[in-house]
Amino acid sequence: MARTILSTLFAALLIPGPLMAAPVAYLLDRAASTVAFETAFGPDLITGTIPLDIADLTLDFDSVANCTVAVQLDVSGAEASFPFAAQALKGPKVLDAVAHPKMVFKSTAVKARGDGAIVAGNLTIRGVTRPVQLAAEIFRQKGTVEGDRSRLTVRLTGKINRSDFGATGWSDMVDDAVRIIITARIEAKG
Amino acid sequence: MALRNTPDSFGLVTRLLHWTTALLVIVMLSLGLRIADMEPGLANLWLYGLHKTLGLTVLGLILVRIGWHIASPVPRPIGGPGWDHLAARAGHIAFYLLLIGIPLSGWAGSSATGIDVMFADRWVVPPIAAVSEAGEAFWFRLHDIQTKLLIGLIIVHGLAALKRETAGDGTLTRMIRGRTKD
Repeated sequence: MARTILSTLFAALLIPGPLMAAPVAYLLDRAASTVAFETAFGPDLITGTIPLDIADLTLDFDSVANCTVAVQLDVSGAEASFPFAAQALKGPKVLDAVAHPKMVFKSTAVKARGDGAIVAGNLTIRGVTRPVQLAAEIFRQKGTVEGDRSRLTVRLTGKINRSDFGATGWSDMVDDAVRIIITARIEAKG
Repeated sequence: MALRNTPDSFGLVTRLLHWTTALLVIVMLSLGLRIADMEPGLANLWLYGLHKTLGLTVLGLILVRIGWHIASPVPRPIGGPGWDHLAARAGHIAFYLLLIGIPLSGWAGSSATGIDVMFADRWVVPPIAAVSEAGEAFWFRLHDIQTKLLIGLIIVHGLAALKRETAGDGTLTRMIRGRTKD
């Protein structure tokens, strides 16, 4: 996937182009974007996806600190690697999709790190908001030429403890730590 | 070989229901204890489904048995009236209550988790309790207590049947062959 895409990351700063002058707002391509998660279930893994509802991203290739990320997920559309896991995930003991159908992440600070960035922000699950950090990478999409930042793929990864958000159901069976991988395909507005 | 019970003998239907239920209950108790101790994973998740399927089957068998015993009443106890007959009568009533109550509490507890209860991994059984953590804890606690009572009752029932059989009254023989030797 992204292996076929030239990794530009925030090192794209090095690429000259007209979009470098100011922060650029991007629109989400929902159909091509995913939020995946995985957690341990005994000796196995439960994997799944949660549909991305909204992703507002503003990228500033001149100053990483000016970048902002806001993501909203549709918890009621969550799916898992086997049916019972999806029901458990959306049920009242974990994400409680009926009472809290949306999961939200809003960045509060973005710092460059290596070829990518660290995005600090607030994550709200089950109505509980906790600070989290996500590692960010940006890739130029397949079919675009070098220096073209009109269509990008943003990959945000991180790990949370679900108990921090009160999602404690089936703690005797399913691990507390959950790994999240957000792959947002975005297109520059205008 | 008579299907129906008579005043002195057990018919084939009653004996089949008795021994099938007994076998299923022993399998269920073993399975339940195994599930309670194991580390859940994808490889053994099917055991939960099997436990629920067999539990609902036991419930169905007991309801069939009650219906059958209304249609074809069971024979009189062997021997004259006494405290042991009263105890046996109380034990049988307790068996029926537990064999109805245990599947129902398990079904209710599973319903309260919010996860579908499946029969034979194919049909979704309607929930009989609202989704609630407090409800789940209550029903599964009750399920646990009822199961322990059933284990005790099975031991007493088995020992009592053996005692009467060794005393020569043919109680166990009648449940196996339908009638006493003589």
